[in-house]
Amino acid sequence: MKVTRRDLLMMGAAGTAGLLVTPVPWKLLDDVSIWSQNWPWIPQPTHGPVEVKQSFCTLCPNGCGMRVRMAAGWPVGVAGMGSHPISRGALCPLGYGAHQLNWHPQRLRTVRHRSNSASWEEARAAFAKACREGPIAIVDGYPGRAASSVFETFAQKRNGSYRAVLGPETRALVPYESWSGVPAAGLGYDLENAQTIVSFGAPLLDGWGAPGRFTRLWAERAAGLTEPQLRLIQVEALLPGTTPSRTATRAWQWVPVYAGAEAALAGGLARVLLDEHLVRARGPMPPMTIAEAADQTGLSTGALIELARTMVARHPVVVIANDGDPAIAALNVVLGAAGARGGIVRRTKLAEPHASAAADIDSARAVLIDSTVPWDFTPPTNVEVFRFAAWDGGSCTADWLLPAPGFLEEMTDVPSAPASAIETYAVAPSLLKAPPEVRSAAQFLGGIDSALMPTEKIIHARCADLFRGRAGTLQGTEATPVKKFASVQKLEEQLWKGAIWIDEPPRFAAFRCELKEWPASVRPAHRVGSSSVNWSRTWCAPVLPPLASKLYQESSLREAPEGRNV
Amino acid sequence: MNARYGMVIDLDRCTGCGACMMACAAENNVPPIPQATPRTGLTPMLVRTVSNGMEGSARREVFIPITCMHCERETPCVSVCPQQAVEVDKATGIVMQMPQRCLGCRYCMTACPYHARYFNWWDPAWPAGMEKSLNPGVAVRMRGVVEKCNMCHARLHSAKAKAAAAGKREIDPADYVPACVEACPTAAIRFGNFADPDDPVSREAHSPDAFRFLTRLGTEPKLYYKSKEAWVRALAESKSANAEVQHG
Repeated sequence: MKVTRRDLLMMGAAGTAGLLVTPVPWKLLDDVSIWSQNWPWIPQPTHGPVEVKQSFCTLCPNGCGMRVRMAAGWPVGVAGMGSHPISRGALCPLGYGAHQLNWHPQRLRTVRHRSNSASWEEARAAFAKACREGPIAIVDGYPGRAASSVFETFAQKRNGSYRAVLGPETRALVPYESWSGVPAAGLGYDLENAQTIVSFGAPLLDGWGAPGRFTRLWAERAAGLTEPQLRLIQVEALLPGTTPSRTATRAWQWVPVYAGAEAALAGGLARVLLDEHLVRARGPMPPMTIAEAADQTGLSTGALIELARTMVARHPVVVIANDGDPAIAALNVVLGAAGARGGIVRRTKLAEPHASAAADIDSARAVLIDSTVPWDFTPPTNVEVFRFAAWDGGSCTADWLLPAPGFLEEMTDVPSAPASAIETYAVAPSLLKAPPEVRSAAQFLGGIDSALMPTEKIIHARCADLFRGRAGTLQGTEATPVKKFASVQKLEEQLWKGAIWIDEPPRFAAFRCELKEWPASVRPAHRVGSSSVNWSRTWCAPVLPPLASKLYQESSLREAPEGRNV
Repeated sequence: MNARYGMVIDLDRCTGCGACMMACAAENNVPPIPQATPRTGLTPMLVRTVSNGMEGSARREVFIPITCMHCERETPCVSVCPQQAVEVDKATGIVMQMPQRCLGCRYCMTACPYHARYFNWWDPAWPAGMEKSLNPGVAVRMRGVVEKCNMCHARLHSAKAKAAAAGKREIDPADYVPACVEACPTAAIRFGNFADPDDPVSREAHSPDAFRFLTRLGTEPKLYYKSKEAWVRALAESKSANAEVQHG
């Protein structure tokens, strides 16, 4: 058979036409579009076995419960732990991106001495020399941990000092220390039983305490209700050119006063409460009259009296200050909220908390700052500073910058959240292997003094104490009373898996305040306007998760916090 | 039975914390682009702030989480897409975006009355090593395609796989919860199946305080909002004369 040129052309044409009715060209087109969207330089997720592990956030002292989704051994997602008694399944926005922090470009991986590279041996030798030459001070951001115990022991052995940097929630409780003898770290607010909460500028809905604690209470008992079960009264100044805080605009009642007049308002309210016998207390009587207080706050006398009556209309009532102004704290004593249900309570304690916030560090030869201390903590200028940090926040004045373990890279214990009403204890396991070039401050001190007890042993000892105490409940997948555990090993095993120990409810009678005179107002050094607050107030990492750019850069929802690398 | 997944967002409960935005971005492998702005960023979940326009203690603010409304009828993005890269999944009611088909014409972005679609202006990039923290259930989208909320479809796949492994045809509703719903600390965002009249979220959508945005367009969005405050409900048809909206 002879194949002509005409046959060839016809075959070609028929073949081309036939191909069009097959799936081949369309499949090719589809594949090309997929291939062209999967170039080698486009990052791809790591695939591997997925498991969920329980842990606790260590980026601020609140220690919210987390469920960390791990794929091929890496954390790929974070969610709240619903069984956590304080955070109740909530996390702050920054927590949802925290699992990416370890790869932040500002991650510290080398020891730096005045901007030059150095070694751990050099840093250790320099600190050991400082210890020999004079008193040292150690600054801790999360007091009450096993590492805190290492710091205290080390400082005590060398006649040094140990200082805890307290968050604003705990600082507001400091005035009660001298009136009751109970350290502020052992006190908390029984918000869960309060019916009226008067906040003096505290950002209750916007970064106060554990993120899920008050917001969940407010959502369940107040949000959208004209007659809420929980009345939130927000006292807050509105400064010219600023917008009110979220707490003020969402509160049941917002009381705008002159800036800095909160203490005068507290005095005026106490005066009305005592004059009109609206409370059981008979003192201490504030020195100012109602008219003077009204004049200083910008409220009318009638409005001030009405506010005092509203406060006590629904009991229990508690006042929450934004900082440690004693005049505002005294209002709680007048109201009878100190040591009362729904007021300020003393937590039952695992260990005696230490009131070391005022320890002097200015006269120290050297100061060691733990990685849990917020980056904006300013050390004294005339001492040698050893600063531990997992990330470099820039503008560091420390002589030594020492790389610390990052998020989920270090096993640590998590004591009670500041200002919580119940005592809790948990262990955040190390879910990721720390890079070999990083050390924690406790490990560093252990390298200088080998007689120090390692944090792991302290945690074991604390677990044994819990077991011997036989009080409280261990909340894991289910709640188990401690007394039902047959051995300390079983209890420890559960704690290591992410269970949390919850103490019995506080005994209200265990806290009494003696206040004979109305205290003078002290304007605190750390005064933060509520409208500018953020969760990062007590966040120890100097950088924020890269995904926080969605909040700060790509939307106008809120302003980026000052001094933070977004 | 086909589902009709949707949400009811209680605006009286929203404190504008932004946890939903962060959780959404982390779940869906949205890249943190340093040069992104409110106009060019990728925020499949975006919380906008609106005030009642008053001053002093009379001022009230409301935070409105805006995401794809999953319009059920005459879905604007579906009708304009020349690539059939958008479709309404009949089994779930979810408006699906298929980035593999998208050619980046952005007609859908123009057509969307809610401004809930976003364009990938840059190649997705993370700081070195951070790709290990990406969610393995979600593919990374490349530059030049449009994306939007797909109600965390990867989670629906996981729920279906779990149900199939247990020999069941229907998923357990507790296994399928979008990231924003899970993250909301005040439980303001609730997720449910509107095809099920007994679903509490479905019942909530018919409460007198519930409303939807721009219902006059007839697109039947499946995102309901809820507020007891009249001035907030009036925002539904942009009739509020004195509301101040901060565009994000």
